[in-house]
Amino acid sequence: MSRILLIITVLFSFAVKGQNNTIAAGEKLTFTASYNMSGLMTDLAQVTMETNEVKTSKATLLRLRCKAQTYSKWDNFFKINDIYETYVNPTNLIPYLHKREINEGGYYKKMQYNFDRGLNKVKSVKTKRRKDGTFWSENKNLTIGSKTNDIVTTIYYIRNLDIHKAAIGSSDNFTILFDNEETSMKITLLSKETISTNIGKKECYKLSISLNNNDILSGENNNLLWLTADANKIPVYAKFKVPVGNGELKIQSATGLKH
Amino acid sequence: MRVLVITLSIILTIISLIFSILPFGYIALIPIIAAFVSGLIAFKLLQKEGKSTTIIKVLFAIITISLGLAIYNALKPNEIEVDQETIELQKQSDEETLEELEDIEIDG
Repeated sequence: MSRILLIITVLFSFAVKGQNNTIAAGEKLTFTASYNMSGLMTDLAQVTMETNEVKTSKATLLRLRCKAQTYSKWDNFFKINDIYETYVNPTNLIPYLHKREINEGGYYKKMQYNFDRGLNKVKSVKTKRRKDGTFWSENKNLTIGSKTNDIVTTIYYIRNLDIHKAAIGSSDNFTILFDNEETSMKITLLSKETISTNIGKKECYKLSISLNNNDILSGENNNLLWLTADANKIPVYAKFKVPVGNGELKIQSATGLKH
Repeated sequence: MRVLVITLSIILTIISLIFSILPFGYIALIPIIAAFVSGLIAFKLLQKEGKSTTIIKVLFAIITISLGLAIYNALKPNEIEVDQETIELQKQSDEETLEELEDIEIDG
């Protein structure tokens, strides 16, 4: 009897953990991305995180879309227009399709992942543009871990974690599929602090992000993320350090929140 | 010494003008301040030696224009350019994605 109870408890706890209690369709978060130039932060781009309901004849999915676009004053020098989007199950944020389209100063790249969760397989299509304007594609079939997700799903998944139950100093590992490779990411809860943002003074969870086998984000505790310590867990501020410098992401507005 | 300071003032003034045209915001103030200081030193040196200060006055005029441009660029609101072509491409991409998603049956 106790064994049955234990199994039910374990199953129930996983079900609760997997449920999406944070992200709703119609949410829009807008950020300003700044880069440190000679000690002064310079606003470079606008980053938006948007969610929408997408209906097909068989299902209703949630589209998680992140966009990065340089401010028009930079466009003549270096234009960036990146779109990262994932179509997930709205109840548990399991991804089905991920698209990443990069347009950076003439450089173009598109990655598409079609997830097969049952078999832990991903059909990957990489498309690039040649110098003469023509495109070429590369198809690959990848085998991934059962908990591996794309970058967009991982960001939203972190927001959906029960951080209030975690102790200061505790950490969690996530595996991200990026450029056809699985990369391990470690998130550590550093502290709880109150910071001033454009959407008001917010009590936040201060998290540190580090990539284990990748040098995109450099150093320990150099890449920090502040999530509001409420039911919405909005990312309001982020500091990042890359090999060519450092920058920050500040929230400008948040609309359509679930709570 | 006088020639060196004047040359430095000219170089810094050109850098100031370039930085103020580019959208660097307040970063442009760094060469502007440096150009102003070196220009002031050059002006005093020329005045002391009883030489013409016209070139420095021209440099000060350019520095003032650079300052105005830098402040204008720094205070200009951050805007995103959304052109019709991008909107159309996005719409087309969304429609293609919807077709790809047609076969998906979700559980739960």
